[in-house]
Amino acid sequence: MPKKDPVIFFIGWNACINCGACVAICPQDAGFISPFDTIAVDRPCDIACLLCEDICPVSTITHKPA
Amino acid sequence: MPTPSYDLVIIGSGPAGSTTARFAARQGLKVLLVDKRQELGAPIQCSGAVSRHALEEVGVTPDAEFIHEPIYGFGIYNEKGDRTVIDYRRLKADEYGPGEGQKPLGYVVDRRRFDRYLMTQAERAGTEVWLKTEGLSYRPNGDGGCEVFLRRFNQDITVKARVLVGADGLQSQVGKWAGLRTHIKITELASCLQFIVDQVETEGLLEIITGHEWAPGGYAWVFPKGHGYAEIGLGVIPTMTDKNAQWHLDRFIRHSFFEERFKNSRILEIQGGGVPLASPLRTQYADNLILVGDAARHVNPITGGGIHTALSGGNIAGNFLADFLNQDKPPTAQNLEGYQNRWLEELGNKMWKLYDVKTEIFRKNDIRERDALLYQTMASYFSPHSEFKKI
Ligand SMILES: Cc1cc2nc3c(=O)[nH]c(=O)nc-3n(C[C@H](O)[C@H](O)[C@H](O)COP(=O)(O)OP(=O)(O)OC[C@H]3O[C@@H](n4cnc5c(N)ncnc54)[C@H](O)[C@@H]3O)c2cc1C
Ligand code: SF4
Ligand code: SF4
Repeated sequence: MPKKDPVIFFIGWNACINCGACVAICPQDAGFISPFDTIAVDRPCDIACLLCEDICPVSTITHKPA
Repeated sequence: MPTPSYDLVIIGSGPAGSTTARFAARQGLKVLLVDKRQELGAPIQCSGAVSRHALEEVGVTPDAEFIHEPIYGFGIYNEKGDRTVIDYRRLKADEYGPGEGQKPLGYVVDRRRFDRYLMTQAERAGTEVWLKTEGLSYRPNGDGGCEVFLRRFNQDITVKARVLVGADGLQSQVGKWAGLRTHIKITELASCLQFIVDQVETEGLLEIITGHEWAPGGYAWVFPKGHGYAEIGLGVIPTMTDKNAQWHLDRFIRHSFFEERFKNSRILEIQGGGVPLASPLRTQYADNLILVGDAARHVNPITGGGIHTALSGGNIAGNFLADFLNQDKPPTAQNLEGYQNRWLEELGNKMWKLYDVKTEIFRKNDIRERDALLYQTMASYFSPHSEFKKI
């Protein structure tokens, strides 16, 4: 599989319900998390599978190229 | 200051962690239980349905402190709204009911109060509890113990443990620290959303609505929530729909056969989370470490229920570790496999069987066939004759 380009995530905190589903599905190494039970938003993700966006019950995760 | 030293350090004070702590401390182990939250159970990521049997089995007395409402049975619906009712007030009228000498089948609990209650019981059994304390990592140090790195109110603290217990829930990082394969497939994690609502009548039953139409890959539910409130929620598998859980829940409330029933509903709380409809982890132990509860995917893959399995898993883990450490055996991965074996025997093998049942249903490509099978499976799962009644 070709390697994907890294992305950086943006979470619309207004809609986020702090449910942790994005962290649960995330295949990153330990610690790729924010203090609000979500995936990290302060550093790029080099896996870029975007499963976190798919699982979010309120679709409040978006990304742009890192 | 010398490094504080414990027999067990437990990361996460949900039902799994606090139950492990209670049983281990009761048998004389020195236990530290930490949780990163300031208020356990909050924000709520659970509907709170649990059987009375599940509580009594682990010595938890049903207490008004955490009970929202007693439950007496189930209403299972197909996609069209036809239902199978399994009401123990009718099936076993002398045993189940609200009257004197009768009892409920289960409860809907308030997870904030329930988790606090369980933590208090652990504390009274001798456990030391630190809230606002996040587990950061661990390092086995070869002399039969490990170091655990914590942050408590911004202060970095290292403690020693003979065994570290990862009871850190679905988002578990502890398993990753040890390099265990904890990954859940996207086809096996339900994305859930639920509303606590006013002005929706319930009848002491857990109502489960099946059908691809309403909740692709999962199901919808209506639970009584006490004080005249109800809870309406659903879970969907993202690969089976191009809409999110919020869209499906909105549609279920406004356009299903319950349209009339939900017409005046008013939202009081909004909650959600992920529910693994997956198999338990194949390896739930490493050197100086075991996992329990959601962290080990101890979740019923048919119902998504994980409170009962977290409580019984905690019971098994706490007692195993007490027996084990009291014999002074070194907590190597090889020796800790005994925990997983005991768990499989008492609980896990049944969960693997349920996983096979679930996989068989969702392997069907034809939606009508799948819907029929899910409805039938749910209805027989909750019947008094089900072989799986006890999980
Ligand atoms: C929407 C929804 C509805 C559900 N409904 C039901 C239901 O009706 N009935 C049922 O039986 N089950 C239900 N479940 C499943 C149930 O909530 C879980 O299975 C159960 O909570 C698992 O308990 P646990 O103790 O393993 O983990 P949790 O309850 O998740 O507890 C984990 C604890 O660990 C803490 N923690 C995590 N990481 C760290 C860290 N690094 N450091 C310190 N602390 C940490 C967390 O703060 C948390 O307190 C539902 C789940 C969802 C999402
Ligand atoms: S893209 Fe994949 S790996 Fe990256 S944060 Fe999202 S779920 Fe995790
Ligand atoms: S899945 Fe969505 S709602 Fe849930 S914590 Fe992550 S960003 Fe927030």
